[in-house]
Amino acid sequence: MKRRQFVKMLGASASLVAMQSPVLAAINKSSKKPAKIVWLVLRGAMDSLHTVVPVTDPDYVALRPKLSKAFKDELLPLDANFALHPSLKHLHSLYKNKQMSPVVAVGSGYPKRSHFDGQDYLESGLSTMNHDTGWLGRAMNQLELQPNSKALAVANSVPISLRDTNKVSSWYPTNLKDADESIYDSLMNLYQDDELLLSRLNEGLNTQQMAGENTSKKRAKFIDLARSCGKLLASDNGTDCAMLEFGGWDTHNNQAFRLAKQLSDLDSGIAALQQELGEHWQNTVVMVATEFGRTVKENGTGGTDHGTGGAMFMLGGAVNGGKVLGNWPGLKAEQLFAGRDLMPTTSTFSWIATVLQQHWQLSNADISKVFPDAKAYKVKLTA
Amino acid sequence: MNATTPQAAIAVNRFGLGAKGDELAQANANPKAWLKQQLQPIKLSNSLYTSDYILTELAKYGEARRQAKKSKNAEAEFDKTNKERGKFLQNSYRGLSTDTFVAGLNSNNSVSWRLLDFFSNHFSVSASGPQMTAIASTLEREAIAPNLLGNFEDMLLAVTKHPAMIVYLNNERSFGPNSRIGKKGRGLNENLAREILELHTLGVDGGYQQQDVIELAKGITGWSIANPRKEDTVGFMYRSWGKEPGDRVLLGKAYKQEGMAQGEAMLKDLANHPKTANYVCSKLVKHFISDKPSPDLVNILVATWQKSGGNIKAVMNAMIDSDLAWQAQKQKFKTPREFVMSSLRAVGKKNIKPKELFFTLNTFGQQPMQAGSPAGYSDEQQDWDGANALMSKIDWVSLLARKSKANAEKVMQQTLNLKPSEHTYKSVVRAESRTQALALLLLSPEFLRR
Repeated sequence: MKRRQFVKMLGASASLVAMQSPVLAAINKSSKKPAKIVWLVLRGAMDSLHTVVPVTDPDYVALRPKLSKAFKDELLPLDANFALHPSLKHLHSLYKNKQMSPVVAVGSGYPKRSHFDGQDYLESGLSTMNHDTGWLGRAMNQLELQPNSKALAVANSVPISLRDTNKVSSWYPTNLKDADESIYDSLMNLYQDDELLLSRLNEGLNTQQMAGENTSKKRAKFIDLARSCGKLLASDNGTDCAMLEFGGWDTHNNQAFRLAKQLSDLDSGIAALQQELGEHWQNTVVMVATEFGRTVKENGTGGTDHGTGGAMFMLGGAVNGGKVLGNWPGLKAEQLFAGRDLMPTTSTFSWIATVLQQHWQLSNADISKVFPDAKAYKVKLTA
Repeated sequence: MNATTPQAAIAVNRFGLGAKGDELAQANANPKAWLKQQLQPIKLSNSLYTSDYILTELAKYGEARRQAKKSKNAEAEFDKTNKERGKFLQNSYRGLSTDTFVAGLNSNNSVSWRLLDFFSNHFSVSASGPQMTAIASTLEREAIAPNLLGNFEDMLLAVTKHPAMIVYLNNERSFGPNSRIGKKGRGLNENLAREILELHTLGVDGGYQQQDVIELAKGITGWSIANPRKEDTVGFMYRSWGKEPGDRVLLGKAYKQEGMAQGEAMLKDLANHPKTANYVCSKLVKHFISDKPSPDLVNILVATWQKSGGNIKAVMNAMIDSDLAWQAQKQKFKTPREFVMSSLRAVGKKNIKPKELFFTLNTFGQQPMQAGSPAGYSDEQQDWDGANALMSKIDWVSLLARKSKANAEKVMQQTLNLKPSEHTYKSVVRAESRTQALALLLLSPEFLRR
């Protein structure tokens, strides 16, 4: 499919969603608490089909004979057609409390399969790449509702998402070691032909494990970052927007095991964020997205490869949740993107725009500055 | 895809401090010629402290401490001057070492800077104790850099007369037993003489005896430094009243000169001794090319050394010219300093603050001027390739990658000559994020070596 058609199609399906849920843009209730947004990017492309599982799709099991049977526990039911991975217990309870909605078959409009470009695209929100400006940074500049709000990047430098505003600062805990967990797997692979380096790496990891809790510095785990992020957002210093990053989702092999851990870390991280936010949870929307989805078919090494359509999560006390959002395109060969990937039927950017409109009360004109190529949906997304 | 040749990558990474910017492309047409034109004199900022200035200030601090002890509020006053002096010591040490490092980081003639690092380690001094902390970093700037591309003889003389070396190896109070002051009970200190023979010239197996150590030590008695508080000068000072009188015999040769000329003649002969040529050339090959130097390559360098009277530039040109120095396999595992330097150059960093540089190099066990032994830091893989070193590198690189906006693919193209079919190339372009891609590149087997 040509890129142009592809983008057009995303636009077409926007109106479809609007027809299904003809709700007027809700205006954020005039609570005195500032409306907070947390933007979480899952780097490496989370596999949506293994996370928000299309249990009733007639082709799902055939496409994933091993992965579909690799769940250690019962799936957590959502609606009639979808269920959550068993690691996502907290997200499931949020769903039942109407504080979480997954969006299925969603895409940013990025038509290729490179992690770097896909992440840049997701963060910039522009069809022509510019590394100096990101959609969340531009949204901050349009945030008239709370002109004194500040944004925080939980990172060592400001990621693209938050560039182009002077209201942002970056922060990273100094009591954490500097390498995150996901680098070690990648290095194991990188050193596969280098006996010396491989043995040194194993030796180093063993020592580290033995030292374990005794060392004053811990590895940067997502839960620690999420907890710190929650604390900073809850402290009364005008920080109403934060960005988190979480890597390790590129599951080309051993996916069942790896995703069980990744999703469990994600789940406990969200729980920690919620706990630290305290009463601010009620006025917070957390948007969770990844650069693209993965192949609908499992590959030969118990994993999946780079795909297109994926999933995102909208969650938080300010979310009008408890529904599976988006339009399921089906998994038959002719329903797939390029014959191999889940077809994206709604736009990541439009969903984000919807939150910005309803939660931060950005006008259509504001939205067009944030996302020149995407419009907000008319679905009631916030409570 | 890869416009550059493997030779270009060898030129910038093995001989230089690591590719920065478009150096790989520059070196591509003629790597050997590119390297040779890099052998340029090193320019260092002259707006920073000199050893003369530092020694003058130290004398002032010494006086202030004495006064403080006598003052009414002795303890507080002493504390205050002590703190001020401590600050001055660290400023000198860290400021100068960082300036040297940053100049190398930005240099377009990084081969010369690698050569400076080599000789700085060859003539290693350590920043131990107040005085050495303050002046250790001046040796490479004042005695080595100006003689870097000249004759080894001149460098050896400049180093041996430099206050940092004299103080470090205790020659300032080494006096002949038969000198005027010797007759009052002062005596010889063999430290500097021994290390000149063992570490700076002939090498430990250079065939010298204990008697030669004593003879050389006597030859350089009186080579001292001034006390700026009492004497109207600063820096190197020859104290004739401490010089051992009479003829000397070193390695079977008689030295009938008087005064400073005697020690100078001894050092010149040592600099031009065949064993020295062999020892220094072996070390050079070991530093630039391989932990196990090829004897053939060493011989080529030695022949050039002897023909040119120990001219370092001529020796370097001979190494660059020899195909033996260009083997495809990377045989050198980067030392921490080399690794940090090449990583920063690769991602286009132009500056690093003293605190960060010292913290980093300290973590890796290679702080500037802290070898703790006149033998300097090891130049062998086994001393730097441990598991803990790797884990520290992973942490450091992860932080660098997270802070850097450099594009991993571009950096890879600008530093390493990798084919798209190679494992590292694939791992980098397929990494799950830009940050991780850059980290993997800098931690790759190819980047850890040169």
